[in-house]
Amino acid sequence: MQRSVQHTQQEDDTLSAFIDDELSEDMARTAIKRLAANRPERKRHAEYCAIGDAMRGLPFGQADLTDRVMAALEKEPTVLAPMRRAPDRRPVMWLAAATVAALTWGLWAAAPRHEPPAQVAAAQPGNVQAYLAAHEDYAQAVDTAPDMHYTRVSLTELGK
Amino acid sequence: MSDRDSDLLLVEQVRAGDKQAFGLLVEKYRRKIVRLISRMVRDPDDMEDVAQDTFIKAYRALPQFRGEAAFYTWLYRIAVNTAKNHLASRNKALPTVSDQAVNDDDEPDERLVAQEVGTPETELISKQAAMAVNEAVEALPEELRQAIILREMEGLSYEEIAETMNCPIGTVRSRIFRAREAIAAKLRPILDTPEDRRW
Repeated sequence: MQRSVQHTQQEDDTLSAFIDDELSEDMARTAIKRLAANRPERKRHAEYCAIGDAMRGLPFGQADLTDRVMAALEKEPTVLAPMRRAPDRRPVMWLAAATVAALTWGLWAAAPRHEPPAQVAAAQPGNVQAYLAAHEDYAQAVDTAPDMHYTRVSLTELGK
Repeated sequence: MSDRDSDLLLVEQVRAGDKQAFGLLVEKYRRKIVRLISRMVRDPDDMEDVAQDTFIKAYRALPQFRGEAAFYTWLYRIAVNTAKNHLASRNKALPTVSDQAVNDDDEPDERLVAQEVGTPETELISKQAAMAVNEAVEALPEELRQAIILREMEGLSYEEIAETMNCPIGTVRSRIFRAREAIAAKLRPILDTPEDRRW
């Protein structure tokens, strides 16, 4: 008996909180289904709405307006158009942010560090000269960069 | 959940085939809609008819409701258009005062002036009900009265009321419920409806 009284109290509490939009979505769904199936609950819902409206100075109007609307709707075909809610974009946003973070980290990890350049094996003057001689036909006339110290030689000079 | 979310859940339920859920929306907004219509349609009998047509049109148009605007904003526009069509069908112009007060391009204006709405019979019931509610609120213990006033008249959330009253949210919820029950007990004899009602 005690348990039953507590249960009733909780149910009533829930309806009052539903009217105030203070329930979670799941609890609100449950409250709506219970209201739709339970006439005494709907009567209590109507009373609570009437109290709030009266306190805000709204006129009561005809008490049976809802009744008349619902009677008229009995002749109407049932609306069957399940609502597509706008998709929650938050998971996508999180995924995008995680991808950007991963790419940034990857690029940062792969980027060359400001470490001392590896020592280049000392060029053998003879080998260089031979290489240049072999590739002279492909050489372009470019301004010599300040750090290029190779000397251009001609085949005729090599032949001497 | 916000008021808007709660209405969307109800609309979702109606669109899933549950007509009774639409009755909850009617019950929630019917007085605001009747008051809105009363600023355009002066005849009390016509007022209720236009309100009824508004809800029926809203039900039929529900598959087109996308939820981009709040349900009440959408309903408000239907009510304004239904009232205008009603006046046009009777070759009556929109009253000058209402031109200023009602603009279907705007959001609903809640700053409305209390006025007499309805037939002498509904006027009497309104006055009796308002008096019963006022007396019941005055008779409440202080903590219940404060909680229900902060909720219904100031529009505060439970969290805000809990901060204001320096008590847990669960206590606020319980106080508001108990206040409603106490007021409803005084209101029932006035609002009592026959058992054969559909709603």
